[in-house]
Amino acid sequence: MIVRIASGIPGFDDFTSSDDDLGLDLGGIPENTATLIYGPQGVGKSIFAYAFAYHGLTQDEPCLYLTTDLEMGDLYQKMASIGLKLDEYSENEMFYVVDAALSDSGSEMEDSDLYQSTSVKNPTDILVKVSRGARMISNKGPRFRSVIDSLTTVLESNNPVLIVRVLKTYILRVKEAGGTALITYTEGSSNSSTEILIKSMVDNIIKLDQGKITIEAMKGMGRKDIPYQITEKGIVLDNSE
Amino acid sequence: MSRLESGIPGFDEIFSSVSDFDLTGFPGNTSTLIIGPPKVGKSIFCYQFAYHGLSIDEPCLYITADEGMKQLQQNMIDFNWFLQSAMDKEMLYVIDSISSLSGASIETTNTYNLSKINDPTDLMVKVGLGTRFVFKKSEEFRSVFDSLTTPFAFNPEPMVVRFLKTYIRRLKEAGATIIFTCTEGIVSENTEKILKSIANNVIMMDGDYITFRSIEGPIGTAKYHITDKGIIVDKGEVL
Repeated sequence: MIVRIASGIPGFDDFTSSDDDLGLDLGGIPENTATLIYGPQGVGKSIFAYAFAYHGLTQDEPCLYLTTDLEMGDLYQKMASIGLKLDEYSENEMFYVVDAALSDSGSEMEDSDLYQSTSVKNPTDILVKVSRGARMISNKGPRFRSVIDSLTTVLESNNPVLIVRVLKTYILRVKEAGGTALITYTEGSSNSSTEILIKSMVDNIIKLDQGKITIEAMKGMGRKDIPYQITEKGIVLDNSE
Repeated sequence: MSRLESGIPGFDEIFSSVSDFDLTGFPGNTSTLIIGPPKVGKSIFCYQFAYHGLSIDEPCLYITADEGMKQLQQNMIDFNWFLQSAMDKEMLYVIDSISSLSGASIETTNTYNLSKINDPTDLMVKVGLGTRFVFKKSEEFRSVFDSLTTPFAFNPEPMVVRFLKTYIRRLKEAGATIIFTCTEGIVSENTEKILKSIANNVIMMDGDYITFRSIEGPIGTAKYHITDKGIIVDKGEVL
């Protein structure tokens, strides 16, 4: 049986549960795998990542979050704007941020156990910091979630050959430490062979496009799709009540 | 030519409509490239091929280059395929060329060796050790390399091709039936051509159809499905 963890997206877990067992097989994201969320700009890939990260926190699963587009302060605000309030979880040392979204002037915050600053232009440093974060967070419990939002920004600032290697290493380390990884990527933002390599390195592929969520690949299931909406509460699948 | 049971239901009968020769079964002591886009079941083919061999006492040299040993075992357990007894009987020799990247502290055993993804020379040394080990068990054995995708991501293409040529030559001399996988579209067109020409047989998987170009000439194709028991191939058609 494939163990899945709740996604935090209303409707998604029902959509991904198989109906052959006696209702015992809960849907969600397969545990201890890597999932790619991709699609064009503005379809809700980041919102998916917020909900995934936040839901883990409410289930006592800590989260390691690499943010490349929003500085930590903006990330907190953005998540709060769809009702996902992080303060409690950062107080409990559940939410660990690696911030690569900083401008050249750097961060006003000092690095700490829960906050590391880095730069999208320095993938080696990113890898060092997320690896350290994964090790630390894995000491807190048997499972955790790990998000990269987004890979596109890192790819745009560096040689894709190098980034593919960094991504492979990252996925291996998160999985080894017991984590479940989720990576967002804007379709078409790198060349075709890089895009295929990225898809080959993850376990599950979810596409968001034209109002539809498509599971292109996922452990234990075939391809399927369903319409979704972006509401003030985030992404909601059309099968949810 | 000797024939093997691939272990993939329906696959061995893909040429059953060619009545002139009996082409049932997987051609022994050949090399086969399995190529296709991501997530179409290339690795599952490998698991099934190796696991079936082990279940009928054909030893296997397994090189895992995308997923570490722990993940490999987990992926197989999803299909209820367990490797432990084959390892206890020393029928399976695994070379793990990727776990050194994951930061895990792992110890080698009699039948489990480590290598590095960016060191084909070291990998060849380990292949030599593994081949001798498996060869002592049986002069007919299987060899799986899954996959070339990560080696290609970490090394120059010609270097991986050189490694592959040597690997195939040595393993064939030792009597192995070799399968190796590569994701379609990640290397240059020229390298992809070379890969297809190095292999005796080519299996293409696209998510719907599996197409087999055999060393013996015919090309067969069939629809396939991935189930919780692995890949199942429908009745084939010869092109």
